Amino acid sequence: MSELPDEKPPVFNTWNSWYWLVLAVMGLQVILFALLTSRFA
Amino acid sequence: MNILDWVILFGTIFFIVSYGVWKTRGSKNIEGYLKGDNTMKWWMIGISIMATQASAVTFLSTPGQAIEDGMRFLQFYFGLPLAMIIISVTMVPIYYRLKVYTAYEYLESRFDLKTRTLAAILFLLLRGLSAGITLFAPALVLSTILGWNIFVTTFLIGGLVIVYTVSGGTKAVSLTQRQQMTIIMGGMLLAGIIAYSLIPDHVSFGDTISIAGELGKLNIVTTNFSWNDRFNIWSGLIASTFLFLSYFGTDQSQVARYLGGKSIRESRMGLIMNGLLKIPMQFVILFIGVLVFVFYLFVQPPVFHNQTLKEEAMQTSQADSLRVLEDQYNILYAEKQVAVDGLVRGIQQEDEKLKEESKATYQLIKDQESKIRKDVKTKIAAAIPGAKTQDRDYIFLNFVLHYLPHGIIGLLLAVMFSAAMSSMASELNALASTTTVDIYKRSIKPEASPLHYLNASKYFTVLWALIAMVFAALANFAENLIQFVNIVGSLFYGTILGIFLVAFYIKHVKSNAVFIAAIIAEASVLACYFYFYEELAFLYYNIIGCVIVVVLALIFQVFDKKQPSVS
Repeated sequence: MSELPDEKPPVFNTWNSWYWLVLAVMGLQVILFALLTSRFA
Repeated sequence: MNILDWVILFGTIFFIVSYGVWKTRGSKNIEGYLKGDNTMKWWMIGISIMATQASAVTFLSTPGQAIEDGMRFLQFYFGLPLAMIIISVTMVPIYYRLKVYTAYEYLESRFDLKTRTLAAILFLLLRGLSAGITLFAPALVLSTILGWNIFVTTFLIGGLVIVYTVSGGTKAVSLTQRQQMTIIMGGMLLAGIIAYSLIPDHVSFGDTISIAGELGKLNIVTTNFSWNDRFNIWSGLIASTFLFLSYFGTDQSQVARYLGGKSIRESRMGLIMNGLLKIPMQFVILFIGVLVFVFYLFVQPPVFHNQTLKEEAMQTSQADSLRVLEDQYNILYAEKQVAVDGLVRGIQQEDEKLKEESKATYQLIKDQESKIRKDVKTKIAAAIPGAKTQDRDYIFLNFVLHYLPHGIIGLLLAVMFSAAMSSMASELNALASTTTVDIYKRSIKPEASPLHYLNASKYFTVLWALIAMVFAALANFAENLIQFVNIVGSLFYGTILGIFLVAFYIKHVKSNAVFIAAIIAEASVLACYFYFYEELAFLYYNIIGCVIVVVLALIFQVFDKKQPSVS
């Protein structure tokens, strides 16, 4: 994942941290939805 | 609808339009008009991106989708966060570096004019058609529900959008979308809370979830793969990623949203915001549909949700047979009540046997009910030739009009109008800027003053709005509206994405190879659509179009090297 040194992201030091956060939140949501689905399957 | 509803509805619309015009008064340069003077902060970009994607169709159709098919439609959005990351990493820096007004300008610097023009024309075709549908959907439903002529609702929505989009351009679109999204999300959340409060007191929130789950409405993740299944985790993660890459990365109606950012940082954060919030937002909208579904287990829903159309059919020779069907439906509902009561008791007393028996009885009754509803639709179609008998898009608004308190009804109608206006404004703005920058300025009149192009953009905005309005007023679509919008997108997005992917990642491929590949890909996708309509879910057209462009471009480039004069 590319970095642009003149455009630092807020909160985290790198953009990669934000991208991992988005992936983690998405993964967590999918797991929760899968658990909810399987609860009634 | 009473006076309070009308005041809230028209007060909201008047406020948004006036705010858009007033805040952008004095907008006099083309840079400001097309890119909003690059003043947008990340949260404004995020809201603008979400408001552009969420059209009135989203709020009209999605709850009905959950009621009939459960929540599995949510999987359609699973590819969106992945697309946001890829676009942030690859496309945003390139667009900023080249200081482009439209995404298609980049294609000329990478390939040549004809490839840029081809992509721009594909976009204009796709978005021009979509703008018509974006307007048609709410215009049709609102005209039916309010009893107005479809020309009135079409030209009311279209006319209001013209006022502030022509006046303030991109900046007006983004500014008004903040108000519109506040009204939309506030109104929808309120509708969800009220829908839950209307469910009988003896049914707790936990019971509501259990009832919905036991009756198959919480089917959010489905892992069975089938080529003709539109919504499962595989199509969501793979095919949707392609669709969203194309939509957010190459569709000017979205690219314009983040190109208006103060910096790359703001644009990236806006996209990340969308990646984090889109799935929860769609979950909420679908869940509101589930709450309405549970509500209708305790209160009898109409046999056909487009009641205006049914009343019309009752004036014909089909009235008697419709009355017979309605009587059968009423008897079935009484039987269904017994099954639902059994299910609630089974859940509350944790009595598995009672629960399973009640579910089985419910399912039997549901099948008979579905048959009656189908017969009703057939009778209505016979009574009114050419009538649109798909009533899924009317379920939610029908619920709003009959069960929500006055004031809230006006607010929810304002939600629908706001959503229609916000996405249409972005579309018109993008259509006008692409027509001006990629076609008119580049190929028709290259040497005019900035003021001339500013005025041209305004004229093109009005022209596209008129095209969309005429299309919406005259068109008649039979499909479920939200799916129709996505189908149209999928027919073109794959090819456009393929062109951009080759441009970004396969540096040795030149213009002729990608141009011919794109034309063949688009023809193939359209052929697939007409020949395999039933066999192949529309999301896969995005992959097909994209893969054909990339593979053929690679093959043609080998051939092109042997004949250097072609390049």
